[in-house]
Amino acid sequence: MSPTNSNGYKPGIGLAARFALREMRGGLKGFYVFIACIALGVAAIAGVSSFSRALTEGIASEGQVILGGDLSFTLVHREATPDQLAYLQSTGEVSEIASLRAMARTQTAGNQTLVEMKAVDDHYPLTGDFELDSGQNLQTVINARTDGLRNAVAEIALLARLGLEVGDQIAVGQTQFHIADTIELEPDKLSSGMTVGPRLLVSQAALQDTGLIQPGSLVNYSYRVRIGENTPEDELQQVIDQANDQFPNAGWRIRSKLEAAPSLQRNIQRFAQFLTLIGITSLVVGGVGVANAVRSYMDTRREVIASFKCLGASGGFVFKVYLIQMMVLATIGIVIGMVLGALIPLIAMAALQSILPVDGVQAVYPLQLLTGMAYGYLTALAFALWPLGRAHDIAPTVLFRDEVSTRNRYPKPLYIAGAALTLLLLAGLALVMSYDKTIAIIFIGACAGTYLLLLGVARLIMAAARRVPTVHSTELRLAVTNIYRPGALTPSVVLSLGLGLSLLVTLALIDGNLRRDLNRTAEEQAPSFFFVDIQDSERDAFQSFIEQNAPGSDFVSVPMLRGTLVSLKGIPAADYPAPPGAEWVLRGDRGITYSDALPETSTITAGEWWPADYSGEPLVSFADENARELGLNIGDMVTVNVLGRQISAKIANFRTVNWESMSINFVMIFSPNTFAGAPHAHLATVGWPGETTLQQELDLLSKVTQAFPTVTSIRVKDAIEQINEIVNQLAWAIRGASSITLLASVLVLAGALAAGHQSRIYDAVILKTLGATRRRLIKAYILEYLILGGSTAIFALFAGSLAAYFIITGVMGGTFTLLPVTVVTSIIGALVFTVGFGLLGTWRVLGEKPAPVLRNL
Amino acid sequence: MTVNPALEINGVHLSLGHGAGRTHILKGIDLSIATGESVGLVGPSGSGKSTLLMVMAGLERADKGTVKAAGQELGTMNEDELARFRGQNVGIIFQSFHLVPNMTALENVAVPLELSGDPQAFDRAREELEAVGLAHRLNHYPTQLSGGEQQRVAVARALVTNPEIIIADEPTGNLDESTGEQIVELMFLAQQRKNATLVLVTHNPALADRCQRKIRVHSGTIEEETPAVREVRAR
Repeated sequence: MSPTNSNGYKPGIGLAARFALREMRGGLKGFYVFIACIALGVAAIAGVSSFSRALTEGIASEGQVILGGDLSFTLVHREATPDQLAYLQSTGEVSEIASLRAMARTQTAGNQTLVEMKAVDDHYPLTGDFELDSGQNLQTVINARTDGLRNAVAEIALLARLGLEVGDQIAVGQTQFHIADTIELEPDKLSSGMTVGPRLLVSQAALQDTGLIQPGSLVNYSYRVRIGENTPEDELQQVIDQANDQFPNAGWRIRSKLEAAPSLQRNIQRFAQFLTLIGITSLVVGGVGVANAVRSYMDTRREVIASFKCLGASGGFVFKVYLIQMMVLATIGIVIGMVLGALIPLIAMAALQSILPVDGVQAVYPLQLLTGMAYGYLTALAFALWPLGRAHDIAPTVLFRDEVSTRNRYPKPLYIAGAALTLLLLAGLALVMSYDKTIAIIFIGACAGTYLLLLGVARLIMAAARRVPTVHSTELRLAVTNIYRPGALTPSVVLSLGLGLSLLVTLALIDGNLRRDLNRTAEEQAPSFFFVDIQDSERDAFQSFIEQNAPGSDFVSVPMLRGTLVSLKGIPAADYPAPPGAEWVLRGDRGITYSDALPETSTITAGEWWPADYSGEPLVSFADENARELGLNIGDMVTVNVLGRQISAKIANFRTVNWESMSINFVMIFSPNTFAGAPHAHLATVGWPGETTLQQELDLLSKVTQAFPTVTSIRVKDAIEQINEIVNQLAWAIRGASSITLLASVLVLAGALAAGHQSRIYDAVILKTLGATRRRLIKAYILEYLILGGSTAIFALFAGSLAAYFIITGVMGGTFTLLPVTVVTSIIGALVFTVGFGLLGTWRVLGEKPAPVLRNL
Repeated sequence: MTVNPALEINGVHLSLGHGAGRTHILKGIDLSIATGESVGLVGPSGSGKSTLLMVMAGLERADKGTVKAAGQELGTMNEDELARFRGQNVGIIFQSFHLVPNMTALENVAVPLELSGDPQAFDRAREELEAVGLAHRLNHYPTQLSGGEQQRVAVARALVTNPEIIIADEPTGNLDESTGEQIVELMFLAQQRKNATLVLVTHNPALADRCQRKIRVHSGTIEEETPAVREVRAR
């Protein structure tokens, strides 16, 4: 019979908790790094997700104001029919808005800019308040005339760009406007999506005067409907369903206040996911600190554990006692992280108020905080289980004789399986919470791969150091032995710094390559201008004008219509299963064209192009990459709605499209007979082979604006500058987030240095006793940190470059170039970082006087 | 009437270490210790006496041979069963006391009782501490106690479960002579009070002489037993 059954008692979790709390009376000393690592990661994750939630909640709570009503019905190219309008008016109050891009110019030649023009009726805005700087009523201002000219109100940015003031004149199309006021607040601005120029707001009658509204002009007509106050979701859906039933071919895009700014919401979620992944990296880096702290602590508890075992405690009981302690410590870190995570949105909203597109809702978001908590516990468990598992096997005999530490032994399979399972749960949580699963999978794979590789690198460095032949330099010998001795800094430095630095190199290279691609394309491939809304009747004249005024330039023009994708393969676009990368094809308006010939820059990858005089069933050519992502096949049917007509065409071929070229590209090109007789405008590009000067471009811009006032000109370099600015802002945000990962590396290093402090003091004192000067010790430490930092940086360079290469070529479809400056900067950074930080940590060690230490040995 | 042995060791061999560093420490030990007997293990450093002590307490497993303690065969138990066996049957006193630093004297003594699920753990611990003269130091932490006081706590902790076997490894090795004397007195008194079997390892001849039997261990074998041992056997 087993002696354990003599009284049938098995110490449970309650007793383990009591023992754990008694053990923690020593305070948190030695655990500050553990707590900080967890707090930092949890704060980053909870903060980022709370902030993104605050913003999306902001959009949702202000949905009616942002959308300008409960529902919005948008048509391209044409207004609603009287029947459609009557129906909308039967559901509630309706406001009609027309918006388009146009060129605004001053009386001074050569001074023009692209504007976002908006014409509103007397009901605008149905929700929220429109404010003018003067405080006057909008309609009173824009419906009036000054000196015989129609009034317009503008964003202050427009006046600044053209050097105008209130009271000056501005011309758009064929009309001269009097700038009567500036816009203080436009409540529905966000629903317009991305804008390329400042706002100019006029009355609907004024827009008619401009001559910009022509058949096929790229005008959006938006009908906002206010049904009532706080109309419930199902009632809104009823109106939408009814509208679709009554006007199945209307081709309007319907949005409700619940999705007032969908692309902004998506972008916020996407960006938040990215930052969350960086937050997880910082937690994983911090995990190294957690593991180090637990290992160091367990080393100090070996005798206590052995005592417990001598007094009758089982290995499992001991494990429970210390697991509870670690979970209590993790809880402290998590609570700090959650508090910080709850504060981050408030601080960020206050600090970023001027650049945020929307006011966030200031609230505590429990779900987001709980997500951070889950990450925190899983990380703490995943990294603590291994060293805790070793406690199970600490033999009670250590109390009787010095034994070799168990720190390098493998724990029992149960604990290894537990750690592996927790890591899987951590990866699973990251995957479940992610917006784009593919990116999450790539990230998790890369993170795990880098971690394992780094473990290997650390062992390799230690093994190499062990095999270094004896060198004459004492300092170098000391540095080399420090790299492989038990309790060496090597694994901590390589793992924590390596992971952080690899991420930094990856992000820096992606950022650098993106910018390089963008700017190189602009310089080498992209045309100088896009000209939009060239009427069919003026197309030839426009071409002649360009040939005269821009001799030697390349002129390309294509018919341009806008339409919505109704269905693919008979499946409505809204229900079509599309991967996140291809969703954009199904959303919103698409530019559509027709052609009797394959574009010069494309090649057919499947199917055949139609004959020049083709007149049979409508055919369509689909961009190869998008077709593949959407799972389309040759012969599938595509239905689009253009100008209120639903048109179905059969996919005849797939063709390559070089989206990066920034030339005219379409997802769908139809056979010419598809749109026979449909009114449309033309889209043209003009570019010069070789380099162009700013003056050359501005001259042409000015001439075109004067000669063709209704044609909208977009200078590509201006657009690229705008994109660069966005990339810049994103890059700063990403760098900010990844610096959290580096901060975690600092914490881990600090922890590792603190853990090794005693043995370093011992070494330093013994060496001093034997005659080593401080100078020699400093040299040895510098060499040690240089070797560690250097080898880690070299690994990070390879791993980061490899990751960036795969992301740029595989995921983004770009070309990869290793950017030496970025790479060298990161290496130098790493060296300065490790050497500087290492020396900072060991400075006190160098100052230790031998006698007091020797007395206490 | 035959005296039921508290410890019975037959043909025990034990090697420690790995590979080339493996050392044959115990080389065929046969030993029987009766209940209530006190035995002193003496011998030079590295002779294997501490290892023999560990084998008796189930802290170390014999490679060969059998160990029976408090009537139970230790070789068949797994690690956790051995731990619980120790908790209930063996009290251990160490040279370096090995008190848990973050627990008070009272809590330290209560640990083995708590581990065996005794609902009166703290009352019994208090009584035991009072018995070793530390009633006034119940809530002191080890660092607040002198070396002698710490060893008293360790003695109380070893005795509180009323173990059949008490083992002590150099119990006075870290104490000055007079404090050591007091601890020895305490230990033997307690042993008699509880009729426990006491096995101790010592380099102190006077302490070894206070035991009923003195066993000299040399190079992993029992080299010599004092006449007192023969007297016990004859009885």
